[in-house]
Amino acid sequence: MNLNAQPSLNRRSSLNRRSLLRLAGAASTATLAADMSSIEALASPALTESLKQSGKRVILLWLAGGASQLETWDPKPGRLTGGPFSKIQTCVPGIEISELLPKMSSRLKETAIIRSLNTKIADHGNAYQLMDTGRTPEPSLKFPHLGATIAHELGQRDSQVPDYVTMYTSTEGRRQGTAGFLGGRYNPMFLTDQMMPANIKRLDSITEIDHRDRADLRDLMANIFDRKQSHPMYDAHNSAYDRVRGLMASDHLFDIEREPQSVRNHYGPTQFGQQCLIARRLAEAGVPFIKVARAWWDSHGQNFETHQELCADLDHCMSALLDDLKARGMLDSTLVITLGEFGRTPDINGSLGRDHFASAWSCTLSGCGIRGGSVFGKSDEDGKTVIEGEMNAGDLFATIFAALGIDHHKEFMVGSRPIPIADFDSEPCFDILA
Amino acid sequence: MRTRFHPVLLCLLFSAVATASTASSPMQLAREIDRLINQQCAPELRAELVGESQYIRRATLDLAGRIPTVAELQDFRNSESLTKRQDLIQQLVSSADFAFHQRNELDTLLLRRLEHNDNWRAYLLEATRENRKWDELFRQIMVPEDDEDHRSAAFLRKRISDLDSATNDSSIAWFGVNIGCAKCHDHPLVMDWTQAHYYGMASFFKRTFQTRAGSVGERFDGSIGYTTTDGDSRKSEFMFLTGTKLVEPDSELEEAKQKEINEAIKKSESDAKAPPPPQPQFRPRSNLVRIALADTEQNFFARNIANRLWARMFGRGLIHPLDQAHSENPPSHPALLDLLARDLREHEFDLRRTLHAIALTDTYARKAHAKDPPPDELFAGAIPRPLTPHQFSLSLLIASANPTEMQGLSSKQEWNQQREELEQKSESVARQLEIPDDGFQVSVTESLWFSNHPQIQNEYLQSGGNRLVGSLLRFESDEELIREAIQAVLCRDPDPDEMTAMLQYLQNKTERRTDAIGQIVWALMSSPEFRFNH
Repeated sequence: MNLNAQPSLNRRSSLNRRSLLRLAGAASTATLAADMSSIEALASPALTESLKQSGKRVILLWLAGGASQLETWDPKPGRLTGGPFSKIQTCVPGIEISELLPKMSSRLKETAIIRSLNTKIADHGNAYQLMDTGRTPEPSLKFPHLGATIAHELGQRDSQVPDYVTMYTSTEGRRQGTAGFLGGRYNPMFLTDQMMPANIKRLDSITEIDHRDRADLRDLMANIFDRKQSHPMYDAHNSAYDRVRGLMASDHLFDIEREPQSVRNHYGPTQFGQQCLIARRLAEAGVPFIKVARAWWDSHGQNFETHQELCADLDHCMSALLDDLKARGMLDSTLVITLGEFGRTPDINGSLGRDHFASAWSCTLSGCGIRGGSVFGKSDEDGKTVIEGEMNAGDLFATIFAALGIDHHKEFMVGSRPIPIADFDSEPCFDILA
Repeated sequence: MRTRFHPVLLCLLFSAVATASTASSPMQLAREIDRLINQQCAPELRAELVGESQYIRRATLDLAGRIPTVAELQDFRNSESLTKRQDLIQQLVSSADFAFHQRNELDTLLLRRLEHNDNWRAYLLEATRENRKWDELFRQIMVPEDDEDHRSAAFLRKRISDLDSATNDSSIAWFGVNIGCAKCHDHPLVMDWTQAHYYGMASFFKRTFQTRAGSVGERFDGSIGYTTTDGDSRKSEFMFLTGTKLVEPDSELEEAKQKEINEAIKKSESDAKAPPPPQPQFRPRSNLVRIALADTEQNFFARNIANRLWARMFGRGLIHPLDQAHSENPPSHPALLDLLARDLREHEFDLRRTLHAIALTDTYARKAHAKDPPPDELFAGAIPRPLTPHQFSLSLLIASANPTEMQGLSSKQEWNQQREELEQKSESVARQLEIPDDGFQVSVTESLWFSNHPQIQNEYLQSGGNRLVGSLLRFESDEELIREAIQAVLCRDPDPDEMTAMLQYLQNKTERRTDAIGQIVWALMSSPEFRFNH
């Protein structure tokens, strides 16, 4: 899909060096950059249709604080670094995972495990930036987080549902996410202290009819103004208001009371489980990106007790989510990512904890576009280094985009600078793509 | 993306640069600006000038940082002075509002919300109140240790823990140059910027450290080693963007002296009560300031601020984007940018004078084209600009007040105090709003907030007597009521279609008249016409 083949809605084309180059035919035909105005071009119906990767969704299960790869996807029992837990055979011959994930062991046919992440950065703040944007920060350039990029690629401009929802009710390490240079249109709807987004409910002080009538009056004022002057920024403003009623009507998506008791039981009573269920409801309604964060895996002390508790929740909720998506025929179009900012040290410290570790750790991708039942990459026998298939954050992001059918070479123009959607020189890992 | 370009523009862009002479008064400068803009823009492309209501709204937003009050609007309309537009601009640039607005703009430019710092903001306000000159601010902010007042150190203090931020943010804010790309390799698109430039600029900041007392200091040595893309190891030189290099004089310190200095620096880093650290003879940042101010050839410092002031008033820089000053991205109007930069130098970097002159131009007073505008870079008509967080928040407070209690500059004495209170009151909402950048789009977070947050109802739509909704309740004539509401919020008279629709609205809800009036006010405040400067 070449964005440049499409007419831009932005009539105010700027004359810069790149556009001159393009006009002169001097630019490479392989990758012409999408101008920032192409964001506006989503308004073009033809473009909208052809751009959208029909019906694809992402649910990110974010393991905040950094889960241990040794107690999850890359166990090393019997080694000094292995800890007390053993490994179990999964339903895929030859693949073994930690005994702390028994439910997932029987559901691995839809999941690919990556055991060779080497992302180098091992402090929470910077590692979080890296794993949420797929690249190291640069001064004066605000990179969008994965959710905003996906919302931009998969969302419908006038969608009646949110296109980027992030749930994080824990008080520790709360991170909101930002659309960076993609603009406020793609900022997340953030659920903080309750299970309902802010300002989605009508106040009691205004009736339903009055709320609607005044919105209609606003539209009328906007239309009269549009006769005097028009501009894409006004369209975006109107579109933000046009979406209010739809978003308010989507409040039921956040209400799991509407699910049958059996489904709610399946996800379980934990907050993480309930949020996974909300995520499924949102995905089903067409929300392209939902992030559910589970904290707090930062087990500098008592690593094994911590993982015993948290892995049980992860194992149960992730399994329930995959089961539910599969039963509804949604797993082929929904990519479930299980990821944190880093893993944990193979060496066990004096407090029986594991510290931050970004040199050889794991994550999983399930569902949409993924070759299930596969493992990519390998760490050494103690889990200290990657010995096969080293992958960095950019490669992981390129793989995610490829799984969703998004061209990972695509570029955004930020000012006069082309920024590829996945970091420079990154490549998808085709071994785990369907 | 298909790029359309304008034939007129294309020939003129590469045509000979007309020379322009500097002017003595803001009005003369304004005429010169118009002449240079009109040279590149055929008369038939130029939009007509706005009417008086739109003019006062635009100018008040740009120079006072808020919409005009109803009293100001009426005074302006009623004035029979032949020079009423000039009088208005003179009044606005001399007002208390101007200093607040200028402070908010400089805070955004320099600190970019890295922190909200009341001391720094107070420092900026003092500076804008006395119209302190831009080169003076540059010196104070970049070499804060020369003053006892540590407040100006916030710019460096927020960045110095990360050398890349200090380097690139300084280059962008003061010189309009983004050299971030040249850190790892020579700039791929722009011949001007090489790794040597990046590390050359970085070396001016390399020795800077933060003191516990809240200022900064400089070490006596320190340089940066880097590797080129060819794998060669290099040591950075002190080099400004122009290529001007600085050779550090040799100075061998005795070991004992060196030790003493290091200990004093260490102490100042950890102890707020320690004396200021010793200053080296050779001071990189002072030298950077000196070299940058002495650069009259490429004139990065003056051209950057001239370009930024222009962009603030027009929604687009003469060089655009604003951080892309280099040979591959020439200004749309080279002679005009030269003129503005030269004028700033000749008038001691008086930013108020530049804004004053720009506001007096016909170019500034043009309408937006209704449909199919010529390319923005011709400045043939107004480009709409989203209100900044402070403009929006302040304007909501002004619009939602009882107009008789919000006189603005029509009552000079009381206004200064009232304006100060409004400034404080506007802070909390302003801080929640996004700072608009290129490609800004209002988010659903904002539209949901404006639709459903209790603050909107309780603050802006409240029906007490000191509020707009309360004051409208007293009107017996619906037509008068609607006229007043539209004047208070949109600073103009109603259009017949609006009048009809709103009369109908009130009639449909006679049993809930207070609510209906509040809803009308809400619809006006949530309209794009209110959210943008146009």
